[in-house]
Parts: sequence; C-alpha cells; structure tokens
Amino acid sequence: MAASSPTMSSPTEVSAGRREQGRPWLWFLLPFLVPFVLFYVVPIGYAIYQSLFRIQRSGGIFGTSEQVFAGLSQYRDVLADATFRAGVGRVLLFGVIQVPVMLGLALVIALILDSAVARLRKFFRVSFFVPYGIPGVIAALMWAFLYSPQLSPIVDLLNAIGTAPNFLGSGLILWSMANVTTWTYTGYNMLIIYSALQALPQEIYEAGRLDGAGGFRTAWSIKIPLVFPALVLTTVFSIIGTLQLFTEPVVFQAISTNVPSGYTPNMQAYAVAASNNYSFSAALSVVLAVATFVLSFGFLRFTQRRGEAL
Amino acid sequence: MFPAPQTRPRRRWVSILAVAPLMLAAACGSGGSSDGAASASGAASSSGEACAPAGGKVALQFWTWVPGMDEVVAKWNAANPDIQVTVKNTPSGNAGTYQNMFNALKAGTAPDLGQIEYDTLASFRLQKGLRDISGCPGVADAKSDFVGWAWTQSQIGGPGVYAIPQDTGPMALYYRKDIFDANGIAVPTTWEEYAAAGAKLKAKGIFLTHFPQQDANWFDGLLWQAGAKIFDTTGDSVKVSLTDPQAVKVADYWQKMIDDKVVATNLQGFSPDLYKAWNDGKVATWISASWGYSTIRDNAKGSAGKWAVAPMPQWNAGEKKAGNWGGSTTGVFSGSKYPAEAAKFALWLNSDPAALELANAKGGLYPANVAGLELPVLKKGVEFYGGQPVFDVFKEAASNVDTTFQWGPIMTDTNRFLSDGFTKALNGQGTLGESLKAAQTQTVAALKSQGIAVTE
Repeated sequence: MAASSPTMSSPTEVSAGRREQGRPWLWFLLPFLVPFVLFYVVPIGYAIYQSLFRIQRSGGIFGTSEQVFAGLSQYRDVLADATFRAGVGRVLLFGVIQVPVMLGLALVIALILDSAVARLRKFFRVSFFVPYGIPGVIAALMWAFLYSPQLSPIVDLLNAIGTAPNFLGSGLILWSMANVTTWTYTGYNMLIIYSALQALPQEIYEAGRLDGAGGFRTAWSIKIPLVFPALVLTTVFSIIGTLQLFTEPVVFQAISTNVPSGYTPNMQAYAVAASNNYSFSAALSVVLAVATFVLSFGFLRFTQRRGEAL
Repeated sequence: MFPAPQTRPRRRWVSILAVAPLMLAAACGSGGSSDGAASASGAASSSGEACAPAGGKVALQFWTWVPGMDEVVAKWNAANPDIQVTVKNTPSGNAGTYQNMFNALKAGTAPDLGQIEYDTLASFRLQKGLRDISGCPGVADAKSDFVGWAWTQSQIGGPGVYAIPQDTGPMALYYRKDIFDANGIAVPTTWEEYAAAGAKLKAKGIFLTHFPQQDANWFDGLLWQAGAKIFDTTGDSVKVSLTDPQAVKVADYWQKMIDDKVVATNLQGFSPDLYKAWNDGKVATWISASWGYSTIRDNAKGSAGKWAVAPMPQWNAGEKKAGNWGGSTTGVFSGSKYPAEAAKFALWLNSDPAALELANAKGGLYPANVAGLELPVLKKGVEFYGGQPVFDVFKEAASNVDTTFQWGPIMTDTNRFLSDGFTKALNGQGTLGESLKAAQTQTVAALKSQGIAVTE
C-alpha cells in the first residue's frame, strides 16, 4: 500500500572517506530493500505487465485460451467503464467531504490537548487514539450493527424521540461509512498534529503572549501555520486512504441492500479479479494507483507552491 | 447439526471475517498471483480420456467447506488403506476458496479433488481446471444414481463428466403457519395466490417476504422454475438470453411486489436484520432451498414450531415445477495424477449410504444421490416445523426440477451484474426488468473480454 515505509536511509550523507571501505550501508539497507522489491516493486511491475494483455480463445467456449498482447486497450476499457467512473466519482465525493471534516476535528482536538487548559491530557490522547487500534473489519461490523434498523439501540432511541434516519439507505449510506472512517482515523491524525505541536519551541508562545495574543489568537496565527506541514502530510495519507475505500462498503454489503459490487474502484478490481479477468483488474488497479499518485503529489505541489508564494 | 454450508451466502458475517486477510491483499492492488490463463496446468481434458487406476499406494488431497467432512473421509481412509485422502477445510467457495483453487491450478499446486457449486463448474472448465472423468471406472454407470438435473449439470453441456454431484437445494415455500392461520390465509399454490396473500399481510403490517439484493442465485432459482433458458453453452458460442420472456415474467412479477411494498426491500439475505424480522414475525415467508430449514431453525429460534413448508407456488395452477438454489459437486482437478482413484472416492463419498448419512448429520447435506433421498433421517418429522416431515416436500421438489436448465460460463460475473441491478430496483432507481437487461449487456461484454464467442 502507498503509506510509505518508515525507513529513511540517506546514503549521501556517508562521508567520502568511508565509502572507499566498501559499502557497509548497503547491508543496513538490505532488510528494507529485499522485501520492498519482492513485495512492492515486483507485484506492481507484474500488474502493469499483466494489464497489457487480453485473453484470446480458440476451439469453442471451452477451447484453448492464451494471453495476447493488447497494448493499452484494457486502459481504454477502464476509462470507458461506467461502473469505474461512478466508483471514482463516489470516492471523490466521499473524500471532498470526509477528509476536511476529519482533519478539522483532528486539528481542533490536537489544539485543545496542546493548550495548557487541558486536563487529563494523557487519558484523552490515548482514548482518541484507541479506535485506530481496532481492526477495520471489526469497526465496520460494530458500526453496521449500530446502523441496522432492526437491531440498533441507537435507531430504537431515535425512533422513540422522532423518526430515525435510514442510515443504510441509498441516500445516507456513503456518509454512514464516512462516519466510520472518521471515527477510526481522527485520533491517528490528531496524534500526528499533536506531535508537531509538541515539537514547537515554547519561546514562540512567549513572544506571542508578550505581543498580547490570547489562546485563540495563538492557535490561529502561530500554531496552525507552524503545524501546516503535518496537516499536509495527514491530508496526503487521507487522500490515499479514501481512494482505496474497501473494508466499510464490503462489510456493509452484508447488512444493507444498497452496496453494489463496484461501489468503489477497489471493490470493482477485487470483483473482476475474482472472475478471472486479471488483465482488466490489473488495469483498474494501475489506473487507481496513478490517480492516487497524481492526487497526492498534486496536492503536495499545490501546497508547496502556496508556501513559496506566502 | 450444523447449518448446511454448501450454498453461497449462508454465513455471510462469518465469511467476512474469513476474507479479512484477502481484503488487505486486494487493497494492495491486484496482480501478484496468477500466470497466463492459457498455461493452466495439466493436460487438456478431451472427452472420453483414458482413465485407468494407477495402482499401488495413492495419496489424494480434497478441499471442501462442508463441516464434518473430515469424519466422513476418515471412514473411507479406514476402509481403503491404498487410497488415503487428506481433507483441507476451506472457507466457502465465493468467500475466497474458488480464487485459491484457480490460483493453485495456475501454479500447478491444485489438490486432486475439490468442492464446486453447480453454477461455478463451467467457470472451472473455462480455465481448463477440471478433468473429464467420464472414462474413469464406474463413472458412466453412476448416471442413474443421481438426480437428473444434477448429473446433467455436472456434464456442463458436453458429453464428458466433470464432477460427481454432492448435494442439491430443491426449492419450496417456507411460511409462518401461525400468521397465515391467524389471518385466514390459505397456503398459496400459485404465484397469483402468493401475491394475494402478500396484500392481506401488508394490511396487517407484515411483509410477505424479503427481496435479497446479494442473492442473485436465489433469483436464478426462480428463473429456473419458470422455465427461463438464460444460457446455452452446447454450441461453439455462448447464447445469452437473460431477457428471455420467462425471465422477464418473473422479473415483472417481483417488481410489482416491490412497487406494492409487499416485500421488504431493506433486508439483506442471511443478515442478522432478516433473522430478527423472522423472529418477530415481521416477515412471513421465504422461498428457499432444502438447506434453508436449518437457516431458519438456527437463526430464528424464537419462532420454533410456527413455520411449515409447502411446495413452491406455480405459474400455472396444477403444475408441480420447482427451482433449485445451491448445492455442490465433487470435482476432479485437471492436474490430478490419480483421476481414477479420485473419481472412485468421489463416487463413494456421494453414494455410500453411511457416508451420506454422516454428511447429512454433520454438514446438513441434502443428497444429490437418488437413494440418499430415502435416508431414514430425511423421512422423520422435524421438530422445529411442528413435527412436519419437511423433506417429503423437498424430495418431491427434487424430482420436479427442470433438467435442461444451463448455467453460463461466468456465473460469478452474471450474478454480480444481477445483484448490482437489484440495488437500483430496490431503491426505486430502476426495475428488475432493467436489471435483466443490464446483466445481459454486461455478461455479453464480460464474455467477449474473456475471448468467448457470444450469440444473443
């Protein structure tokens, strides 16, 4: 998956004198490089290779089949595929709403925890983070029960007060999923922003106070601009996660009648692979990966340029 | 008894957990696992291939998801020291096992035998995954031992035989006798009466049944009963006729039920929500297969004694046609070195009375073997159904299933397309008739993308 491995090797910093004694740094890199190549580079390369073929059959329905080179025709089919386009549109809509809401929440919680008034800081920090530790499938199952019109105590309660919304209906289900994702990842993103806040030198705040900045003013004019890189990072991670939306819709399929098989591009790629059309599935995956790459790096470039302009 | 596992979505919640690791793999982008479909392992199986026992000591591998199958196989192993079978328990076919089988076939590491549902047999043959065992000792003579349509489907339209039928799912009407009696509704014998019963129940705030969005193979069973011919694979090209007039008739009938709000549209099949609705008497019937008796029994415990079983409603009064939903076969994979021994085992497994009895007791299998339908346990009254000998109904249904119905070569796809269409129909964004049309177009396109010639 696209979330980068934490290995940060920088061989360029090895001094020239050391380099002559062989390449000891290579040995430190190997534990990262070997699995990276085996389980990341090779499968991606293979998926790209596979996406360039199509199946040809001779001798009737159950005759002999072979893979023939088809150039980019699978990609043409992917881009023309109505299900794929609808799926991409759906995850984009999801991301445009869910990512800002989640990161906004994460930022607010991080700022509150960082401010001096917060009590029980450690307790809250851990408890906001706990949902991230729950496996995605379990979290989705749990929420599915809470949304279920027949079984949910929350729905019962809402029905007692007025009329409960149909959480699993065609209108709301996407946002019910967004809620699960938000619940799961807000704490995680909060922790990244919080760490960035903690790393800021205290003198800046003192300077701000001397200039007469209150709590809100400090947060708005000092803290947020300074943790901007952390916000960019969490946004990129969130964009990647959004485009790969899979677990929540698949789990919700078991309890709602509103999740078709190509609900998200990832689900479509999975379903197509399950029916032995690996080339089309590979093309779907590659297009999805490229879209993720373009969006994430586009966002990075956009924010960097904006940073320079300021 | 365990709930019978042979049919697709029985324990969907459990299977979600089972595929959780797959989700992770899928999220990493597809790819890594398969070689060209062309290089399927093993020799191409042409019809009537020679098949002689290898002799000596033989070890076979068998993948299945029927609970308790290891105990059945232990019986065989005790009696056949020269043919030792090892069972591997897998998740159900569509919960990842089929994909594992396909991948193993490509990698040349497939087992000798595997459990395959009828509607998926053609997909395996398409990938050259199945050995034609018609030439193996005993296979040709076994034809009359099995329920007619089950044997025909194991032949996948051709002269060869690609699997031995294991169990079937003849369909009938499960209904809440208490609710029907209390409202003075007679057991419906035609679809017209069934709809009329629905209208009466609606007035009481009770749904006649649910329309399951994911269970396209349930809908296939309804089409089967109506005599729809949705596929023909006997020629050199596949004939796809999902918009066959009989199919459209079924679709229009259920669309009207949806429009009239007689059936529940927000209850997924095999979901905890549905079970609660059964328990609470909010949903009064289920058109389902023989194995469904344990689904209701195990999941709607509070409604014990209130259910009964009647034959499926008919399109024309006086007819006795039944559909079928689910059931599996035991197939011999193309890479097996010992097809004769594997076929011998598969025949025993699905014909020996002691084996069938144990498979029924442990795995709830409803035999595809004609003699198996006479098992003592299938003659007894079933307590949950008020002591009704429900299997009498299914036995009759089994003999009234159209033997000429054929599956398409990519039913996983076709059913997926149907389910996608159902989503729209259940939300008022389309109709079931449109679902058939969309599934037709999409199936044709998917067949072509697999290099298969199509006639419409």
